[in-house]
Amino acid sequence: MPWLGLALLTGVGAGILFTGLPAFLVLIAAAVAGMAVGVAADAFPAALIGALPGRLIGLFESDLLQALPLYVTMGLLLNRLPVADALYRASNAVMPRKPQAPMVSGMMLGALLGPMNGSVGASVLGLSRVVAPKLAAEGVPQARREALVAVASTLGVLVPPSLVLILLSDAMLSAHTMAVTETGRSDRVVNTGDIFHAALIPAAIFLVLCLALAWWSGRDVAGQPARTNLTRGEGVLAAVSLAALLTLLGGVAAGYFYAVEAAAMGAFALLAAGLTSGRLHGKALGDLLHEAIAITGALFALLVAATTFTLVLRLLGTDRLVTDLVRGIPGGDIGATAAVLAVIALCAFVLDAFEIIFVVLPILLPPLLIKVADARWVAVLVLLTLQLSFLLPPFGYALMMVRGALKPASPFKAFVRALMPFLAAQWLLLALVLAFPRLVHVLDRDKDLSRAPAAAMSNEEISKRLNDMIQLPPLDLPK
Amino acid sequence: MIDTIVVRLDRLVAGIIAAVRWLALPLIVLLFLQWPLRDIVRGYSREANDLGQIFFALFVAASITAATRAGTHLAADTLAHRYSPRTRAVLGKIGVVIGLLPWAAIVLATSAAPVWNSLKGIEAFPDTNNPGYFLIKFALWLMAGTVLLQGIADLLRGPGEP
Repeated sequence: MPWLGLALLTGVGAGILFTGLPAFLVLIAAAVAGMAVGVAADAFPAALIGALPGRLIGLFESDLLQALPLYVTMGLLLNRLPVADALYRASNAVMPRKPQAPMVSGMMLGALLGPMNGSVGASVLGLSRVVAPKLAAEGVPQARREALVAVASTLGVLVPPSLVLILLSDAMLSAHTMAVTETGRSDRVVNTGDIFHAALIPAAIFLVLCLALAWWSGRDVAGQPARTNLTRGEGVLAAVSLAALLTLLGGVAAGYFYAVEAAAMGAFALLAAGLTSGRLHGKALGDLLHEAIAITGALFALLVAATTFTLVLRLLGTDRLVTDLVRGIPGGDIGATAAVLAVIALCAFVLDAFEIIFVVLPILLPPLLIKVADARWVAVLVLLTLQLSFLLPPFGYALMMVRGALKPASPFKAFVRALMPFLAAQWLLLALVLAFPRLVHVLDRDKDLSRAPAAAMSNEEISKRLNDMIQLPPLDLPK
Repeated sequence: MIDTIVVRLDRLVAGIIAAVRWLALPLIVLLFLQWPLRDIVRGYSREANDLGQIFFALFVAASITAATRAGTHLAADTLAHRYSPRTRAVLGKIGVVIGLLPWAAIVLATSAAPVWNSLKGIEAFPDTNNPGYFLIKFALWLMAGTVLLQGIADLLRGPGEP
C-alpha cells in the first residue's frame, strides 16, 4: 500500500494546518492510523511494529543529538546575559556614525549569535529583544525592523555550527551511507565537517549580500538620537565574547573539535559566566532549566514522531514508491535536484525546517543521492532551501515569529516589500549554487569529492539495489 | 475522585520533570570535558561520553512531556487561531485519544521484554563495557510513561481547567 503513505503525508500537512495541533501529535496520530490500516489490510505483519523501540533507543544513543539541549540552553543563556546587547553596542560604536550603522550591526549580531542560539525561534526572540527597540529608537520603520530581524535570525542556519546544519548533516550521513553502499562509489561518506566546509563560501556570500542590503535599506532613515558611549565593561565583554565565538567557530571549521563539543564549550562558558556574575541564582537557574527541557522537548518530540512515522512509511513501501518517482525525474543532476528542492520548498509552506529534516529528507535524500553523486552540493542546496523556507511568505516560521514578537505588526504588504530584496538575494544564491556546484568545493581539503559511479547503472539496477537496501533489518522481537 | 486522580498525576509528572531538568547541568559539564579528556588528558573521555549519554537519554525522555505541559510544541496557528477555545480543547483531546495514548501503549508493549531484560541484567555499554546502558533503555519507558500519564490527566481534566 505505498500510496497510503503519500496520503498520510498529505494528511499530516493538512492536519497541521487545519487543526492547529502540535506537529508531533499530528505525525504520531497519522503513524498510528497507518499502523492500524496497514495491519488490518495485511500490508505488513503486526510483529514488524516491534522495530519501533530499537529505532527510538537509537535516538537516545546519538552523539550528534546531544547538541539539542546544549544549543537550547546556550540560546536561553544568551537571552539572559548581556552578551548580545554588548556586542550590538560595540558594533555600533566602531562603525561610522551613519543612519545605516544600526541595520548593519543588527545583521552582524544575527550572524554571530545565530549559530550559537540553537534555533531560529531563539534568535528571533533574542534579536527582537536586543536589536528591534534600538532600531525603533533610531527611526527605522517597523516593516524594515521586522524584515531585518527575520533575515538576521535565519543567518545561523547557514553559518556553522548551527543546529539546523548539524541535524541536516545527520540526515545526510544516513542518506549518503545508503547511496554509497548501493552504488558502489568509492567516496568517503560525508560528515558534519564536510558539510560545514561546503556551506562556508555560500554562507559568506549570503552574509555579504545581507550586510550590503542592510546598509542600502538604512540609507534614508532619519531622526537618529544621540548615541551613548560604550562603557569599558561593555567593551571588554564584547571583545571577550567575540573572541570566544570566533574561537569556537574557527575551531569547528578547522576540525580541532566537534560541533557538539563547541556547543558544550559555549554552554559551559555562558553557564559559568551566569553563575559567577550572580545572574543565575537558585530560582533563575531552575527556571532556565525548566525552559530548556521544554524547548528541547519540542524538538525531540518531532524527532520521535518522525522516527515513528518514517517506520510506518517504510512498512507500507512508500519509500520505494518515492525512489521510483525520483528515479523518473528527467534533466540529469540539476533536473533531479531542482525537482526535489521544489518539493522541499512546497513542504515548507506547511512544515517547519525541523519537521522537513526529520520527516521529508529521510524519504527524499537517499534516492536523490543514488542519482546525484555530489553529496556536499546537495547538502548545501537543501540547507539554502531550508533557510528560504523560514522566510517564505506568508507562513515562513521566522516571519510568523517576528510578527508575533514585534507587536503591533506592520501591514503585511509593507513587510513583504521590505523583505523582498533579501528574498531576491537568497534566490540568487540558490540559483548560483545550483548552476555552479564548484562553489561548495572551494574549501575541500581532500581529493575524495563525490564522484560518479565508474560505470553508469541502469534504472533497473538502481531500483534493484535500492529495494535490496531498504529491506527491514532483522527484528529484535520479544522472546 | 477524578479531580484527585488528575491532581496526583499532575504532581507526579511535574515532579519527574522538575527533577530531570537538572540533568542538563552535568550533561553540559561532561560534554565540555570531552575535548580536554580526549586530547589533553588522553583518558576517561569514553567514560564521560557514556555518562553524558545516560543523562542525555533521561533528559530528552522527560522533555516531550515537559514541552506538552509548557505548550512549546511547534504548531501552525495560521488557521487555528480563529477557533474557539472549546473547539481547540476538543481537538486536543481527540489528538490525545487517537495519537498519544495508543502510541505510548504501543511503545510500552513492544519494548516491555527488551527493556525488562536489560534492567534485570543491569546491561553495560556494548562498546566500552561501562555500566549503565540499561538506563538508556529505561529512558524509553520514562518517555512513553510520562506521555501516557500526561495524556490521561489531560483527558480527565474538565473543559475549563488549565
